Amino acid sequence: MRSEMARVVVLGAGVSGHTAALYLKKRLGAAHEVIVVSPNSKWNWIPSNIWVGVGKMSATKVVFPLAPIYRRKRIDFRQAKAVAIRPDGDEASPQGAVDIVYTDPMRTGQTERIRYDYLVNATGPKLNFEATPGLGPDGHTVSVCTPSHAVEAAKHFDSVIEELKAGHKQTLVVGVGHGTCTCEGAAFEYAFNVEHELRTAGVRDKAEVIYLTNEHELGDFGVGGMTFSQGGQRITSESWMDSLFRERNMKAITQAAVTKIDPGVIHYTQIDGTENTQSFDFAMLLPPFRGVGLQAFDRSGADITDVVFAPSGFMRVDANYTTKPFDEWTAEDWPSTYQNPTFHNVFGVGIAFAPPHAISRPYATPGGIAVAPAPPRTGMPSGAMGKMVAMTIADMIQSGATAPTHTASMGEMSAACIASTGTGLLTGTAAAMTMSPIVPNFSKHPTTAGRHPTETTGDIGLAAHWVKRVLHTMFIYKAKAYPLWYLIPE
Amino acid sequence: MDTTQSHIDAAPLPSARELRRRSNVLVQIVRFLRMNLSMYLLAKRHH
Repeated sequence: MRSEMARVVVLGAGVSGHTAALYLKKRLGAAHEVIVVSPNSKWNWIPSNIWVGVGKMSATKVVFPLAPIYRRKRIDFRQAKAVAIRPDGDEASPQGAVDIVYTDPMRTGQTERIRYDYLVNATGPKLNFEATPGLGPDGHTVSVCTPSHAVEAAKHFDSVIEELKAGHKQTLVVGVGHGTCTCEGAAFEYAFNVEHELRTAGVRDKAEVIYLTNEHELGDFGVGGMTFSQGGQRITSESWMDSLFRERNMKAITQAAVTKIDPGVIHYTQIDGTENTQSFDFAMLLPPFRGVGLQAFDRSGADITDVVFAPSGFMRVDANYTTKPFDEWTAEDWPSTYQNPTFHNVFGVGIAFAPPHAISRPYATPGGIAVAPAPPRTGMPSGAMGKMVAMTIADMIQSGATAPTHTASMGEMSAACIASTGTGLLTGTAAAMTMSPIVPNFSKHPTTAGRHPTETTGDIGLAAHWVKRVLHTMFIYKAKAYPLWYLIPE
Repeated sequence: MDTTQSHIDAAPLPSARELRRRSNVLVQIVRFLRMNLSMYLLAKRHH
């Protein structure tokens, strides 16, 4: 057992980083120090941003300030952006360090080098709107990635409803704004919530709602789709979604890489090479993600960013990053400990770790434009990774463990995804899906598309909406670290 | 080639009974309880 105080620095306070910080403090108590570095002063329950984006939930309901929670839990909070890590220290000390730039209004722009014994990189993604000209709130489309984006989206959506009420036909396009986007599930949810609200407003007949995606077929969701039992029959998520789109009279464009957005016009190329345009009055297109741009330096100051991070900017962990054809990848290639292979006191969790490969089969246009959904890392696995890494680090500090003591591989973990298709206590609906595991394991489940036949399920209805609403309340309770918060599973 | 729209146009619509099931409060309360339990067990088993 370590006698001197250890310091654990957690970069990022999203689902994964915040979970890691809370469990670290719970395990380590006052004997050791936990520091959280996050550029944001507030925590955001991102899955509910879609409701903010259609004006059905206030932005204040999906965020809360982090500082009071960390003060209560005796976690040192620095509102700052990490810009570089020095895993083997610098000229002054061989102890690892992270360079931060404060975003706290009281100290904006000030820099500091924080030493650490263990580092958890949970920085999440950079929203890479720049990847597609014209994409995003600074371009010609809206987003629901952040609460402020969602508020802006709701304002635009309101004005579309006013136009429809005035008798003007409108085209609404919802989807992803690049061929390599992830989080298609969130775009799907927002599309159906938009459709639901148009019906509620009594203007659905004048609106065309189009879902635009890089998925090869509907129901892929970046996880290669799934099959499950319904009414005694095996059905695919594709046929399940086809029915839902028909039921709601929604159109869909799949296999598309958005290449440019002009005012009112989306340009996209499909995998057969056809170049198309889609006009719009309202467009919510999610951006692709990349790493936040952390740099890494060795003790002499030489740049080792390529050693610590993949070209995507996400952190290398214990995955198999060998280049090989898509059909040769297996679930075992996915990381389980999230430990950096070079620096064993550094971990990358949540969206911050570099996935070894796509889960959905990647395609490209004849001109070489990627139409390849990136693997999603949703709240459930991200929280589980954060907790698992916290337990491992606590074991290393308290018991002297020299290797990770816990694992949480997406090739073994299950996930539940509740995709809202409209809100309302008695009128809401959602598609509830569970999959086990997240990354299909074809050697273990060869006849059921790589997933467990009874633990992979799908259901649509009011109950699923209630579940999503309850999860909103439960996870905010957990994130606020109220009494017995740790009994709520990730 | 993107054939998604033709798949949507040919997809089966839910029956009237299925639509009633999806919104019937009593049925959905049972579904709600079952869904919560199965998700809790799934999380406990695999995480």
